[in-house]
Amino acid sequence: MDSRRVERRNVESLGDAIQLSSVFRAGGHTYALLSDMGAHKTVLSELPPTLGEEFGPLLKGGEAPAGTPLELDVGGKVEGYGVFEFPYGPVSWGVPEAGGFKLVTYGERVVKVIPQVNFKKRGVERSVVGRTPQDALLIIERSAGNFSASYSTCFLTAVEDYLGSEVPLKARWTRAAAIELERICNHLHVFGRLAETASQNIAASQANALRERVLRLNSKHFGHRYLFGFNTVGGVRPDLSREECKELSTAVRLIAREFSELVAYFLSSRIFLDRLQGTARLERGDALSLGAVGPAARGSGLLWDDRLTCPIDPYEDIYVNVETDAGEDTMARTMVRVREIESSTIVLREILDRMPGGGVKSGNRPKQQRDGDVLDDLALCRIESPSGDLIQVVQLDMQGRVSNLHVRPASLVNWLPFARSLESNVFTDFQFAFESFGLSYADSDR
Amino acid sequence: MTPGDLLPGLLFGTLATLGVGSALGLASKKAAYLLGVIGSALGAVLSLITLVYGGTASIDLWHFTPTSSAQLQLSQFNSYFLLISSLVWLGTCLYSVGYDDDYPRSLSSLMLLTILSMVFVLVSGDAITFLMGWESMTISSFFMILEGKGEREGVRNAAYLFLAFGEGSSVFIMLAFSGLFSTVGTFDFLGPAAARVVSPLGSWIFVTALVGFGLKMGLAPFHMSEWLPIAHSSAPSNASALLSATLTLMGVYGIMNIVSHLGQFELWWGWLALAVGGVSALLGALFSSVSEHSKGLPAYSTIENNGMIVVAIGSYMVASYYNLALLADFALVAALFHAFSHSISKGSLFLVNGWVSKLKGSFDLGSPNPLPGGGRSLGIAGIFTVLSLAAVPPLAGFVSEWMILEVLFQSFRFGDLTSQIVGTLVGAMVALAAGIIVVSMTKVFGFGILWPRKSGTAQGAGGIRDGLSVRGSFAYFFALIAGVGVAAPGVFLLASDAASQTLGANPFGTFVTGLLGVPSPFVILSGSPFGGFSPTFTAVAFLLILLVVLLSAGAIGIHPLRLGLRIRRTQGWSAGRAQPDDATELYNSFGYSTPIRIMLRFLFRTKESVVKVGAVQRTVVRSPDEYVVDLEVLDVFKKFYDVLAKWTLWLSAYTSRKVMPGKLGLYLIYIMAAFIFVLIYILLTAG
Amino acid sequence: MPKIWVLRGLKKGVLTSRFPRAKPTSEEIPEHALPPVPTPQADWSAGEKECPTDAIRSEEKIIDMGLCVYCRRCSSAGFSFDEGAGGSSRALQASVTAHGKAGKPVFGRSLHVMMIDVGSCNACNLEVLNLSNPYYDLTRLGISFTNSPKHADALIVVGALNRAMVDVLRRTYESMPEPKLVVSVGACAISGGVFRGSEGFASPVQDVIPVDVTVPGCPPSPVQIIEGLLLATGRLKKETAP
Repeated sequence: MDSRRVERRNVESLGDAIQLSSVFRAGGHTYALLSDMGAHKTVLSELPPTLGEEFGPLLKGGEAPAGTPLELDVGGKVEGYGVFEFPYGPVSWGVPEAGGFKLVTYGERVVKVIPQVNFKKRGVERSVVGRTPQDALLIIERSAGNFSASYSTCFLTAVEDYLGSEVPLKARWTRAAAIELERICNHLHVFGRLAETASQNIAASQANALRERVLRLNSKHFGHRYLFGFNTVGGVRPDLSREECKELSTAVRLIAREFSELVAYFLSSRIFLDRLQGTARLERGDALSLGAVGPAARGSGLLWDDRLTCPIDPYEDIYVNVETDAGEDTMARTMVRVREIESSTIVLREILDRMPGGGVKSGNRPKQQRDGDVLDDLALCRIESPSGDLIQVVQLDMQGRVSNLHVRPASLVNWLPFARSLESNVFTDFQFAFESFGLSYADSDR
Repeated sequence: MTPGDLLPGLLFGTLATLGVGSALGLASKKAAYLLGVIGSALGAVLSLITLVYGGTASIDLWHFTPTSSAQLQLSQFNSYFLLISSLVWLGTCLYSVGYDDDYPRSLSSLMLLTILSMVFVLVSGDAITFLMGWESMTISSFFMILEGKGEREGVRNAAYLFLAFGEGSSVFIMLAFSGLFSTVGTFDFLGPAAARVVSPLGSWIFVTALVGFGLKMGLAPFHMSEWLPIAHSSAPSNASALLSATLTLMGVYGIMNIVSHLGQFELWWGWLALAVGGVSALLGALFSSVSEHSKGLPAYSTIENNGMIVVAIGSYMVASYYNLALLADFALVAALFHAFSHSISKGSLFLVNGWVSKLKGSFDLGSPNPLPGGGRSLGIAGIFTVLSLAAVPPLAGFVSEWMILEVLFQSFRFGDLTSQIVGTLVGAMVALAAGIIVVSMTKVFGFGILWPRKSGTAQGAGGIRDGLSVRGSFAYFFALIAGVGVAAPGVFLLASDAASQTLGANPFGTFVTGLLGVPSPFVILSGSPFGGFSPTFTAVAFLLILLVVLLSAGAIGIHPLRLGLRIRRTQGWSAGRAQPDDATELYNSFGYSTPIRIMLRFLFRTKESVVKVGAVQRTVVRSPDEYVVDLEVLDVFKKFYDVLAKWTLWLSAYTSRKVMPGKLGLYLIYIMAAFIFVLIYILLTAG
Repeated sequence: MPKIWVLRGLKKGVLTSRFPRAKPTSEEIPEHALPPVPTPQADWSAGEKECPTDAIRSEEKIIDMGLCVYCRRCSSAGFSFDEGAGGSSRALQASVTAHGKAGKPVFGRSLHVMMIDVGSCNACNLEVLNLSNPYYDLTRLGISFTNSPKHADALIVVGALNRAMVDVLRRTYESMPEPKLVVSVGACAISGGVFRGSEGFASPVQDVIPVDVTVPGCPPSPVQIIEGLLLATGRLKKETAP
């Protein structure tokens, strides 16, 4: 983490446009990490230990033991004739992951949604403790396979900041390229799932085919379809040559062009649009107070994208067009994703065109003493993963092993906005809302 | 001695048994109900003899004007209705022996009194006896509803509303009778011997009669009179069966009687009947599908079925107007047949639902209280009842609904375009109603009987067990429902006998024949011929196919009864969860029909609200403390009647203060005592 | 110009793999799915030390493919990941393994498959979902996905079996009608992979329900999963593992 971008403030002096991002414990202290949405700044506050208890699911999400499902129930009880809880999951095809919901309803109309998480909690944070960063990386990048590049980059950036080690410029740029590829891939996945849910099978097939092409590009240029193992401490594995960069750039351009044709079809398909427009509205105020991040927040008109608001290295040099939409509904979130595929392509091509030369691995051992960049013995990194703001806070011990890790995945905080958006919608809209938020249990449970 | 000679004796036997039973009820409930069973059985025998031997019997009681006499008359027409009612009463009284253990003794007394009054309504040959029976029927039913277990205020209101509608019905019937009297100059116009009336007051007579009897049948827009008393008072189930299955049948009898005595029809009478019937059928079906009350739902279904009967009557009138003799005949038989199948199925449904409510301890269909395991007789009676009401072949309900729809299909034969359009539109409404009622019936069976279930114990709340009488009545109704379907030609014959009085000839031979290898008389043909169906053959075919499957399973060495399958018991699939044991996790009947409530909000005036209480800023997230959910449907007519009721109550309070100081209850008891006295007097003097 | 989905679909032509009629192309078996092969110079004990999941056992000189997460750390100890050493078919040969009663042709050419995720990171999960994309198009082989175990012939299990999912997995398996097949996909399902020591991990899938075919990989490529399914139904022959 670069502390210059993080302010320390007291809890009492917080303004209005403050969004709670994360709560974590480190070294006996409880910290709150906040996003100052107005000033585009990250704020770190230390909380009195007792106050931390009240942060409920956000805190428990990380601290809850593995092996027991956890209900993220923040609203009050529901009263009325005929009300019942409709259980959904953990095994269902609509959500092909291990995770569930309780839909509180009186038939058809959803009154309240209680997400049930931690069906697949493996306990990543605790299992990396005591490992070297290189060993921990194996687990970190397998926490959420579809956000692997974001996870590994976030972890490594924090570790490298903590250690103050030099990372070659090219390695940083390569990491950014991988993150953008991952974003394109995931947004295509979401689009395909939405099309599938609306029974638009041709659209779904075509989006999936484009996605498969991105996966093959991943495999060809980064050695893994899901970008496992391309990152190492202090650098990256693949050394992209100029020709390779050009080839990748051309391939991505073709994919983006085909996708924009697909979008033209999508926008002319009344049946498809009908399912998205007005569905699962997340009001701006709710998005702010419930802490929505990523395309979900941007679809409700909140301007927060880590690439702009707390950029890691290459993003400071690159023009990133942050897509927002004030529509607040599923359509808005979908359009944010659709446009992000385009803007990510532009960002990716700029990265590839301007890919610096030099090596991709730092030759010398990392420096053991710090530059003083690290605040309170913590290193922190925020990365805009495809579903939103991913935060990792790292602490290493004297031997350079991980002694403390806090992961705040985007999906975890997006459960509550998702649940709120679905209130007073009908059962059949459930799937659309779920897919448009891009929620992943693997991500939130970790 | 011919069977006809037995009739007066049997009739007196029936009346006496019921009368003694009613008096005995004040001492012993069981004895009263048993006498009810015997009296109903006598009534059934009596009516069967009349129907089969085609005899008529007339017993003059006394002459109150030179031209009119109080008389009891038996004909094929009214004994057909007596047969239906007696069959339902028999089952209901049998059931009551085991069911009624927590209501006051007066209930049994009142039930038998109601039955007795209904017999009088049916066998009266003159208007005066008819009205006396009608009044006494209304008043004793009123007291039965007062026995309801609902909340006190609601029961009282429901009972008084019933009384108001009952008296309204009497007033209109009197108006109709006055029209008839002014034409023929005598009160003896209800019997089989009475001539057909061609009157300048025809329209007056028909409309007042339709309103008067329609009030009793619960036709739209008076359908409140049917569902509200039954549902709001949570009346005893045996009483509900009586009210919904046979009391409304008296309305059907009345309207058909008047129609059969009118010599000439105006075309618009038929249209009116068609329209009223069609709207009632559709409204009844729709409201039944969203009802959550184990009494209200069947009551709405009664509205639907009575609507269908009136549609058939309307078709008969339109067809007669155009001299379509064949179609008219078929329509009339269809109306009669449907009255039969509806009454037995509905009687059965109320008893089944009553038992389920008793076991669950709630009249709420959506009650999460599980039903105890076992209860095979309840299940079998339940499934056959709902299948019959949902019109699944070859059961009773299917045969008659098929007949009514066949009539409407032939509305293209009507003489002019307007009638054809009316016929088609009403046909669509009836077909829609028949479809929608399936939702209600699956709901009754699914959420009432099938699920949720408690495994293991066969005992209900408080150790309620179904005794011999309850199981017997279930078996009885099952046999009736299946029997009427399978032996449909037999019932068709009875209905034809009943219709022959109106039609002048017995139409049985025209419509029942053999076809395509099915021997005569097992095929029912509609029209000349238009469509055909053989319930008997269908039933036999079902059984044969089952037998073939079982035998072929046996032939390849598999035990035929176990179907040769290795039985593997697994839990139901609940998305990987353990089966929910918490009632709040169960999909309930309310949720089942909520989509209909939401989709048809313009009709149900659905008010849907989710109020979030206390949306406060908590430490982290802003969340409501409580959600209060409310989804209500409204019968729009209720609003109107609420206003009416308010005025009436005010008026009656005013009258009782200023004009007639005294208690209404006492007054009613006085009327009833007077009636009983008159009855006894008649019985003593008539011999 | 009117936008007609069907025409657009037709315009795109055929993308579908020719596997299993032809050998998979190198794009279909990605680089990361190639298993490690010990070269003659391989240092087994160094390999064992490097291996983060104990897949390499120097005493017996074997590589347990069920444990291998294809991280390639052992390449420094002389284990080769070269495509030249056998290419794509090597990936298939070395990995997919049939156990027990698999391979009996009871299902003919039609198979209904259900996937259950018991704790995956989503990579295996997505690769299974990818089977229905135009490149792999499972339905051309008569295999289709179903979402109820009551309709399923085969169960694909992905992910490191979580303690919260053990009962769920067992319930799912019990809900399936006989005859039934289980294919466990990915190192996590087979052995726990990198999550073997983590607190949420319960046990390998085969300790809870009988497994017929294992498809190792992290994640295995879609073609390997297809091969696993065909092997399970006996439509592809291969020696059964001892």
